[in-house]
Amino acid sequence: MFGRILNKFNEEFLKSEPRKGELFAVSALYDTPDQIITAAEKVSGSGYRKFDVLTPYPMHGLDAAMRLRETKIGWVGLLAGMSGTTLAFVMIWWMVGIDYKNVIGGKPFFNIPPSIPIMFELTILLSALTLVAFLIAVFNKLPSNANPLMDTEFMKHVTSDKFGIYIEAKDPKFNQSEVKTLFSSFGASKIYDINSVAYDEGKTKNPILDFKFIGNIIGIGIVTALVSYFILNVLLFLPPFNWMHHQAKVLPQTESKFFKDGFSMRKPVEGTVARGFIPYEFKGMHDTMIVETPNPLPVTKKVLERGKNRFDIYCSPCHGYYGKGDSRLRGQFPVPPTLHSEKVRNWKDANIYHVITNGQNVMPSYEKSISRDDRWAIIHYLRVLQRSQNAPDSDLEGK
Amino acid sequence: MSLDATFTREIPLIEGRSSFKEIDDVIAKPVESKPTIKWWIAIGISSTALLIGAVCLGLTFWYGVGLWGNNQPVGWAFDIINFVFWIGIGHAGTLISAILFLFRQKWRTGIARFAEAMTVFAVMTAGLFPAIHTGRPWLDGYLLPYPNQHNLWVNFTSPLLWDVFAVSTYFTVSFVFWYVGLIPDLATLRDRTTSGIKKAIYTVLSLGWRGSNRHWQHYERVYLILAGLSTPLVLSVHTIVSFDFAVSVIPGWHTTIFPPYFVAGAIFSGFGMVSTVLIIVRKVFDMEHIITVNTLEKMNKILLATGTMVGYAYGMEFFIAWYSGNPVEQFAFINRAFGPYAWAYWIMISCNVLFPQLFWFKKIRRNIPITFVIVILVNVGMWFERFVIIVTSLHRDYLPTSWAMYYPTMYDIGILLGSFGLFFTLILLFARTLPVVSMAELKAVTENAQPKHHHNGTVE
Amino acid sequence: MDNIKKSLPDSVNKKGGIMLLSGVIILLAAFVFEPQRAFFDYLWIYMFLVSIGVGSLALVGLEYLVGATWSTPFRRVTEILASLTPVLIILVIPLFFGLHDLFHWTHHEVVESDKILQSKSPYLNVEFFSIRTAFCLLLWLVFFFMITRNSEKQDLDGNPLYTKKNIMLSTIFTPFFVITITVTSIDWMMSLEPHWFSTIYGVYYFAGTVVASFAATTCAAVFLKEGGYLDPRIKNDSFYSLGTLMFGFNVFWAYIGFSQYLLIWYADLPEETFWLIHRWEGSWMFVSIALLFVHFIIPFLVLVGRRAKTNIGLLKIMAPWMLFAHALDLYWLIFPTYFKGNAGFSWPELSFPLIVIGLTMIVFKTVSDRKNMIPVKDPKLQAGLDFHL
Repeated sequence: MFGRILNKFNEEFLKSEPRKGELFAVSALYDTPDQIITAAEKVSGSGYRKFDVLTPYPMHGLDAAMRLRETKIGWVGLLAGMSGTTLAFVMIWWMVGIDYKNVIGGKPFFNIPPSIPIMFELTILLSALTLVAFLIAVFNKLPSNANPLMDTEFMKHVTSDKFGIYIEAKDPKFNQSEVKTLFSSFGASKIYDINSVAYDEGKTKNPILDFKFIGNIIGIGIVTALVSYFILNVLLFLPPFNWMHHQAKVLPQTESKFFKDGFSMRKPVEGTVARGFIPYEFKGMHDTMIVETPNPLPVTKKVLERGKNRFDIYCSPCHGYYGKGDSRLRGQFPVPPTLHSEKVRNWKDANIYHVITNGQNVMPSYEKSISRDDRWAIIHYLRVLQRSQNAPDSDLEGK
Repeated sequence: MSLDATFTREIPLIEGRSSFKEIDDVIAKPVESKPTIKWWIAIGISSTALLIGAVCLGLTFWYGVGLWGNNQPVGWAFDIINFVFWIGIGHAGTLISAILFLFRQKWRTGIARFAEAMTVFAVMTAGLFPAIHTGRPWLDGYLLPYPNQHNLWVNFTSPLLWDVFAVSTYFTVSFVFWYVGLIPDLATLRDRTTSGIKKAIYTVLSLGWRGSNRHWQHYERVYLILAGLSTPLVLSVHTIVSFDFAVSVIPGWHTTIFPPYFVAGAIFSGFGMVSTVLIIVRKVFDMEHIITVNTLEKMNKILLATGTMVGYAYGMEFFIAWYSGNPVEQFAFINRAFGPYAWAYWIMISCNVLFPQLFWFKKIRRNIPITFVIVILVNVGMWFERFVIIVTSLHRDYLPTSWAMYYPTMYDIGILLGSFGLFFTLILLFARTLPVVSMAELKAVTENAQPKHHHNGTVE
Repeated sequence: MDNIKKSLPDSVNKKGGIMLLSGVIILLAAFVFEPQRAFFDYLWIYMFLVSIGVGSLALVGLEYLVGATWSTPFRRVTEILASLTPVLIILVIPLFFGLHDLFHWTHHEVVESDKILQSKSPYLNVEFFSIRTAFCLLLWLVFFFMITRNSEKQDLDGNPLYTKKNIMLSTIFTPFFVITITVTSIDWMMSLEPHWFSTIYGVYYFAGTVVASFAATTCAAVFLKEGGYLDPRIKNDSFYSLGTLMFGFNVFWAYIGFSQYLLIWYADLPEETFWLIHRWEGSWMFVSIALLFVHFIIPFLVLVGRRAKTNIGLLKIMAPWMLFAHALDLYWLIFPTYFKGNAGFSWPELSFPLIVIGLTMIVFKTVSDRKNMIPVKDPKLQAGLDFHL
């Protein structure tokens, strides 16, 4: 089966029967660059207009020999590039400066310096793509596989190893024998008559109504429609490709069909307690009402280091590193009384715990930010600080 | 071919005097003949590597990026290293085809087509990495500024977005430049081929090109402009890639020399890869008289120059880090040389700065086996340079409490391996389907290809 | 090949002498009234002449290094411009009397109370600084003499051995050039603001230097051609490459400048941004904007077209324009340290154009009198003359 397909292609594309159409042009092949340059000069100088020179590679001096005007395609590139720059600038300016402003890095909404890379890239992109599109479609009018020169002996040589020139029959000065003589005079190695291909008329007068054509169009249309529908309406919504459209979450303030009272937003169940934060029995109560539970943590190095670490983080901003109230806020916040006072030194641990948990005067409650264990560890450390400021003599006598 | 005293004569580009037909035959041969055993073995190896990478990638899509070694603080690792590595490799192709064209260096002709193809494939490989490392790659469409249902635009301030534009532009323009160069050769193949199906394909792809000088005129101008556009483009792409790092405040990343340093490094690594591949290709496809020792020697000189530029950048970074008096910056560099990743650092220094210095010596420049070893080391060294920059700067930055080590997983390595597999598979496929040297350009620079007499043109 | 040797007229020396003398007088007067300002002006003059002199030497080296032939007809002009290099040795001496006026880090009291400056003092101290400057100058001098002497000798017999020697010398010189230019820019300009640093600074000065050197050679070549002092075989087409490279390196300069700017702007680190902020305060803002337009936007638009680069009339305007732009660039780099808050330009600054142009004219005439204007027997000369688009 594969072989049959190959054979079909071979038939279609490799056949080379003699052509039945009218004369399109007379062409000639040359072997050396100097010959073709001379030929080009003479032909263009003799007043022929519909002629062309074909070479396997671009040849210096040929443009001038053919008296061609300089190409204007450069302007296309320039204009396209400038529109790329403008497009990028306007796009960015509108998107981040007008439509959806965002504060990024503390900088103004729209900035020129970071827009420059994209402006530059779009300049190059638009310039290059437009240039190539115009080169192919507009300036060179390609693709043009129906040109009678295709699939001829002549063409086989000019794309490979020889240089060719032809004059079209449609040229006003065209005379078949004159042209042939002219070409020979430059030393042509071979001269060809190029005839056009004759196409069958076909059954229908109007090619648009041809059955195959219409059938193909309809078929392609249906396929395109189905594929588009599938991609845009089905594929894009399959998990995980659903572009975050349908998310398995409850939107705030929407009605709930699950709960009886219709509220989507729920309070935590009665008696719910956050981890590590069992409610404090004596919350809000006066100091004298508490039960003086002892400090549950042992006095180990680990506990003390933890206490120091937490004290430095949470307590030192106001109380200072030594608990003296000499904080680094330096008076920008009310200075707390020193923690080395008689009163505080004589307090039980539970009293200090009470103050930390409850808050006192300007000091807020630290219940929610320091876990219970950490509070006890801080208290141990505080005792260390207090001892350091009021050390008995025995501490100093190198024990 | 000796470099004798008459510096006026350019060294002939093709050794011996090939006729145009011979050029066509030699270059079209791999395209028109059946693949050899060597080719099958080569593509077998590269496809296997590609398959391994594809499997690792598939698993990554399914399970998520957690399969990789990326973690705080090293949130960017192999994904970005590989991206920068492959983009860098693409740069050599554009440099050879565009920049050397602008400098009228005729010796590029033997290698330009191949180099351009390598650029296209390298950029394709590179482009995979930003696409897959986003975490939810199926949402990558959001990277482009289109009016979406969230009414959101992209963050134009971010260099990651500049990358999206830069790499897309680079791929598109390189591909277009490559294709435009191919059109005349496709026409030649169209007219040579004896297979109907190939004729059909070439006919479509060559757009009916017939070698008309009216067409060549516009074509040459467009080619020149594309080369002129590609040059700043290639500089800008790796500059923007360097901005990914340099706009940050991380020590070792935020330094003003990154843009030209990265560009020089990219050219350096790219030439390393081009040389590696060409040395193999010229042997396998019998093109030693087209891809000559002279060509390779010139490439080695460029390697030496760009490697030295990279060394300059290393020196400047180090000196200014000391000069700045900034202890964090100074630590970053001491950590690179003596910290836990010091082994990577010293691989980088020796492969990028030390070994290429051997190219000062002409004998070594013209010695193919030694060149082969050195250029492979350059590839290794440049991969490690990106590793050192990214991993060492991330794993230990400002806050010592955040310091940690990074270890790649087998999925990281599998995907890296797969990227090499993809690149080499594409190259091997290219070598058998399209002419690896531009037939038209090569013919244009052979002796006696251009007219001898100066014809005074009246119209300009 | 016949020697088309027409010496420049004596009026060149006369005009140059008058300009130089007036410039020196102005500078001395400035020194009397505002000594610190005079030293800044002088530094500006010095760094510009380093760009032209050493930059031209580097261009000569570049030609040998890459084996270019289009530049061979112009190379002697560039070599003559490079003769500013030995003059630098004399020019630098007065600067050493101004170290205290120019650089904060030479003030002991300042350094003692500044931890950052103390950490830099192993590098930023007068002794090491002087040694570095001397080393750079000596290196440039040695290579200048060796390379130009070989080129001159080749005029007698056309022996290709000289080319080979110069290729070797240039290959060695190039990396040293890069390093010494970097060190010079860091020492003499970046350390004006000793708290600031930028790894790309050396590259920035290098880029400006290359543009200025191409501009200088183009400028000189255009004027010489118009006066008939240049070999008539050199066609307009040959100027194309000069124009293109000047254009290309100018784009490179803009790229380096933009990179530096964008990165500092983006990260917004106070230890870096103050340098740019100083260049945006008061009337410095206008200087910065002017630099962008004068050095990049206008030359880009004018020179981007293909025809522009073979248009001698246009190059006659754009080459001096680029030299002016480089001078503006150096002004922008150097003077914010002195003119804080607002840019300043008055009669002392007029010493810059007078001394620079006058000195270059005198050096050029003096040296070109005893050399050919083209390397007459260089084996590559014919290929260079044959160059056409």
